[in-house]
Parts: sequence; structure tokens; C-alpha cells
Amino acid sequence: MKDKTKGIMGNSIETVRDTDSLFIPDNYRGSIAFNMESANGKRELAESVCPTKALLPFKENYSDLLLDYGKCIMCGYCAEITPKLIKINSKPASPVNTRASMIERLGPQIPSLASYEQTGNELRGKIQELFGRSLAIREVDAGSCNGCEVEITALNNPIYDIERFGIHFVSSPRHADLLLVTGPASKNMEVALKRTYDAMPGPKIVIAVGACACSGGIFGDTYSTTGGIGNVIPVDVYIPGCPPRPQTLLCGILLAIGRTLSHTK
Amino acid sequence: MNTIYLDKYKNEMLEKFADKIDKVEENGNEIHFILKDVNDVPLTCNHVYSILGTRLATIICTDELGIKNGFVLRYVFGKENREDIFIFITAVVSQSLFFPSIALQIPAAALYEREIKEMFGLTPTGNPDTRSLVLHEFPEGIFPLRKEFLLKTKVARQQRQYQFLKVEGDGICEIPVGPVHAGIIEPGHFRFSVLGENIINLETRLGYAHKGIEKLAESMKLDDALLLAERISGDESVANSTAYCQAVEKISGIRIPKRAENIRVVFGEMERIYNHISTLAGISTDAGFAFGAARLYILKERLMQLNESLSGSRILFGVNRIGGVRCDISAQDSRLVISTIGTVLRDFDKIISFLKAKSSFMDRLKDAGRIPRKAAQDLGVVGVVARAAGIDVDTRHDHPYAGYLPRNHRTPQQIIEDQIEMEKRSGDALARFEVRVREVRNSAAMVEEMLDLDCDGTFTGMPEKITPYRSALGYSESHRGQTVHWIMIGKDNSIFRYKIRTASFCNWPIIGHAVLKDIVPDFPLVNKSLDLSYSGNDL
Repeated sequence: MKDKTKGIMGNSIETVRDTDSLFIPDNYRGSIAFNMESANGKRELAESVCPTKALLPFKENYSDLLLDYGKCIMCGYCAEITPKLIKINSKPASPVNTRASMIERLGPQIPSLASYEQTGNELRGKIQELFGRSLAIREVDAGSCNGCEVEITALNNPIYDIERFGIHFVSSPRHADLLLVTGPASKNMEVALKRTYDAMPGPKIVIAVGACACSGGIFGDTYSTTGGIGNVIPVDVYIPGCPPRPQTLLCGILLAIGRTLSHTK
Repeated sequence: MNTIYLDKYKNEMLEKFADKIDKVEENGNEIHFILKDVNDVPLTCNHVYSILGTRLATIICTDELGIKNGFVLRYVFGKENREDIFIFITAVVSQSLFFPSIALQIPAAALYEREIKEMFGLTPTGNPDTRSLVLHEFPEGIFPLRKEFLLKTKVARQQRQYQFLKVEGDGICEIPVGPVHAGIIEPGHFRFSVLGENIINLETRLGYAHKGIEKLAESMKLDDALLLAERISGDESVANSTAYCQAVEKISGIRIPKRAENIRVVFGEMERIYNHISTLAGISTDAGFAFGAARLYILKERLMQLNESLSGSRILFGVNRIGGVRCDISAQDSRLVISTIGTVLRDFDKIISFLKAKSSFMDRLKDAGRIPRKAAQDLGVVGVVARAAGIDVDTRHDHPYAGYLPRNHRTPQQIIEDQIEMEKRSGDALARFEVRVREVRNSAAMVEEMLDLDCDGTFTGMPEKITPYRSALGYSESHRGQTVHWIMIGKDNSIFRYKIRTASFCNWPIIGHAVLKDIVPDFPLVNKSLDLSYSGNDL
């Protein structure tokens, strides 16, 4: 338990130990839910306000709306204009293995989220199993707005303290097992990103962090961007969000390690 | 805004340059002098800059071949000290695609001219440095901001050599650093020339995070470009979106409700507090004192959780909208803000007095990265960096916007005291540390004051139809300094041109001057104490 009596300089333990202390407020824009009963004529309206074209155009063979979490920047414009059809949910969308599975058939399926510490402990076990030592991560900013960097930095603060799960950030790709990449991969960073990837020893794990890294996000695919990390280097896990919160980042790392583990078995 | 001053400058300029000025236009606190000939730009700009005592706010180039007769240049100068005026010198570049450089008289203009050369293909005659900024390996002859260039054009990569300044002599070595850095930071390249450990020269090469934001905005709806403005630099989302909204509101003549103005201030100051604390934590890390950093990061996390419970985003995305704000602050929220910031501030004071008692920490900061005041003035440095070097600039007072009030009337004694305080600031990392600490406290007080939201209304409505080709300047003070956005509306409420100039663009050049008396291991500390955004610079 936290000892709050000693104050900030009293070596109190601030690190989260339970779910309650990492409470997600109701107004957090984490995922999107649809109420198809009130879809009449509103679908096109919702599609038309989406700034990143994450709501996919209606097709006859789908009865549901389709949302591409790889593009969604959680601006909430669609829910504002069609409040009955679209609801923003505070539960964060979960990381996935393939770019295609970010396009979700929307129904009631909202991912369940274990507590931050449970996720971390599971991760620690798997890292131990896979490497027999700790996990080394290299972060590369391939042209992000620095929002994702703020959240990745937060993973290292005493509250999230990712090092207790045997994960640490290293300064060279040559020491890294895993590459966390943010940004739409600007054209100017393309070569540097490739060279960073090449410098890593195998097995190489790559995680695309945030909507920009997944698809180009709001910056899209233009003269100066490549439209997502996947167009530059192979990606193992995609983490949606703009920016993803620290819990989701941890879930993404867990997914990536779990996947590599199952491949090695 | 002060109409007396507006008329004064108008008459003075008209009298002096009667034969050179074609037209004068006014737009709120902006006064535009439209020149007959682009070759008169140096003369008039120099007068506005040195005789009228203004600061260069930005230089805007637009491709108006379709509506006028060429590329139009707008030199924007801000007049501070309670006058709150922006003077525009406007000129059309002729068919020759050359324009006279003003960089030798106004050094701050050099980077803008390079930018114009690269993005529009207009050559500044007399500017000695026209190397590329953001189009690193693009083929020659590509000018993205020209209207004829299409946003989605994919061009082949072409090897191009970038000429760094070469320092020669016995024992001089070069250290290249980046674009991928050792820490969790943004991309940029630094080229050190060193003699032993001493830095002889430092050159930065940026542009790695160039995402074509200005060009992209031209294809967007007004509402969508607001989201883009928030993502110019993720941690300055409120400052940038505020500047963007104010520009659009000024063009369409909307006045937002008082409550919305105050809410913008509250979020703007909350943003300043969490970022200043983050920078102070970073300074502590780079000075090799992890304990102080860890404590400060705890406070930052508490503030980010507060951000989230108010706005639904930990970095305050989605706060603003054109015509008001998107999220209201209820009475319950206000109490939460006041109590959270209250406890954070109490803890903050404890941590700061602890840090200040550590001689190894203070010694590390003292004299590191000292910025000469003259260099800061010439390069037009803004924000904390300028204030720590004794230059009293702050957009919140100089050009009051949203709920900010003009600086209260000061007695002669207070004015002198303020001047003495400014004189004492030495422009080193310690001065920047102390200015940030002071601003955290001021901002906390300001938030509390502004939360007295007894008036109603957060939104007045969106502009229906805006007259095409009207333009306006929007500005705000981010935690890094003055942010200036200029928008020209096109047909059917589209964006014709969106020129963004963040504080980082003004402050990056100073880093080469700041490290000249330092050794290489001091560089991370100096860099962090300047707190520059790469994304905000590269766009």
C-alpha cells in the first residue's frame, strides 16, 4: 500500500500496485461502439466527418459499420455528430498482430484489460522464458508529433516503472531485442529507420506505436510520409491510439513477446 | 490593441515611404503596408525593425499565381510593450523569382528565407546560406508549397550532399550524432567540431520529422485542420490549437464567449505546468541526478491524469474548437483542478528546494549553455529561453489573447524592479531552470484565478461562409514561447495557405551559440534546458 503520510520526499512508494490506482476516467476516448439500430441515414454522415477516413465506406455485404483502428485518432467527431449511432467508450482498444485485424467488425466486442500489474507480471514471466534475461527496447521516432514519446517516457516514471518487469530502454539498436517505432515514418527518417532495424540482432521484434505508425494517421500518405511503419520495415504488433496510454503500450509489448514465444516453441 | 499607435505607425510609414507604399490595409491589430516593388522590402523592413523597434514574428510566402499575379511575401513584425500591433510588409515577387534578402540586417530572417527558397523556389538574393532544410533527399526542382505541386506526389529518393561547416586545424575532430538518438527523443542530427572535449562549433541539421503539415492543411476542412494543429507538436496541443482557432475566428469575425476564453487559458496554463515540470525533470536527469527527476516525473504523471479527467486526453487533445471550446469545466472539475494543482505545487516546492540544496546539481547548471543576450536578440529568440537571457517577451502580455489580460499598470518602482530582475538573468541553464520554476508557480496561480467561471457559454457556432482570400494571424504563448499561425481562407471554407511558426523554429538556431563555452558531455543538459521541439520545427 502507498504510504502517503511521508510526502513526496519521504521515499513513499508511488508505483501502481492495483487497478484502482490507474483508474481510466469515463470521458477517455479509448474505443468506439456502435448502436446499429439507429443507423438509419446517419452512417454516411458519420463517415463524412471522419478526418482520417477510419470509418470505412458502407458496403452492401456488411451489415455493420467498419472502423479501422489503425487510422482512428480518437477525435470523437463521429460521436459528436451522430450521438445515437456512435458512442465513445473509455476502454482502450487493444493492440493486434496484423494490420488487417485493426479493421474491426464492430459489435459489442470490447477487449478486456487485465490490471497494469497483472499484465506486467505475465510479461515478466514470458520475457524470462524467451530470453532468460531482461528485455531491451530501442525507441525510434520516425517523425511523430512527440505525443507518443510523452507516453513512452511515462512508462519509465516511478508510477508505471516498467523496469520492475524486466524491461529497459537501451541507447543502441545493437543492444535491442525490440523496436518501438512512432510516427508516420517521414520520408526523411525512412533510411535511418531501415538502418536501425538492420543494426538489431535477431530475433527482431517491431512494434508500431499509435495511429501514425500504423497507417500514417492524420498525416496520411503524402509526399513527405510513407504512410506507416509497415511500409518501411516488417511490423509484428500494431498499437492503436493517439497516443496510446501506457497500459496499452504494455499490452502491446506483451502481445509481441507472446507471439515470438509461440513461434520459437 | 491600441488604435492611437496604429494610426501613429500608419502615418509615420506613409510619410516616410509615400512613393513606395501602394496601399494600406487594416485588420484588427494588423496593419498591412503593400509595397509597389519587392526591391523596397529591405529598406522598409529595416525601418520597421530597427527604428520602430519591433521583432520579426514570421515571414509568410503564398503562391497566389491563381488569384493575383505571383508569389506574395508578407513580413510580419510584432510590436511589443503594451502596443499590441502586428505590422505586415507585403510585396509581390515578380516573374524573375528573385527577392532581396533581409538576413544581413535582420539575422532572424535567414531561416525563413531558406524555407521560402526550398518550399517555393524563390531565391533570396544576398542570403549567403540557401542550403536545404526539410527536403533531404528530394530531387532538385520540387517545390511542395507551390499550388501546382500535388500533395500525394511520390518522388524518387536522390542522393544529395549536405554541406556542413568545416572546422579545420590541428586536433579538430568531428562528432556526428543522430538522427536516431540514445534517449526517447525526437530525430535530429548534430555535428560537433571538437578540440578534445571542448565544443568549437555545433551545427544542427533538422527536418527529419517533416510531415508536410502546411501542404496537408490545404487539402483539409477547417475542423480537420484543427486536429492537425493539435498534432504539430503533441505536447503543445493547446497552444497550437488556440492559435489556429483564433486565426479562423478573426477571419470570420466570431467572438467567443468569455467562459470559453477563460477555459482556453486554464488548459493553456495546465499544459505549461506539466511541460515545465517535465523539462525540469529532464534537466535533473541530464545533470545526472535521477532522484530529482523521478520525484518530478511523479508530479507530471499526476497532472497528466488530471488532464485526462478533464479533457479525455492525457496530453489535452480535443480541447479547442473553432468558435469556443469542446470541453467545459464543471464546478466539480474546478475543485479537482484546484486541489490537485495545490498538492502538486506543495510537493513541487519541496523537490525544488531539495534540488537547490545540492551543490553538485547547481554547479552543473551554473554557466552551462550560456546564451549571450545580443545573440538572443538578433536571432529573435522567444519564450523561456529569451526571458532567461533577460529579454522580456511574453505573448500573453504583449499581445493579450483569450482570457489573458494586458499587464497591469505598474508603478515606476515596479517597472525598475522588473528591469533589474531581467538584467540579472544570465542566460545559462540555471537561469532557465529558475525561470521555469517561477512560471510553474505563476501558472498555478493563474489557473486558480481563471477557474472563477461564473459566466456562461462555451461555443458560439461555426462560421457559415467565409469570404475567400481573407487572412489573419493567430498567436499564443506555448510553454516554449510565441507561436504564430497565419491562415488564408480559400474558396468554400477551404484553407488556401496555413503558415505555422512555432517557438522552436525561432529557438533552434541559438543552440549553436549556447554550447560554445561547453564541453560535449554538457550538451544533453543544455539541449534539455532549451526544451526545443523537433516536430514543431520540421512540420
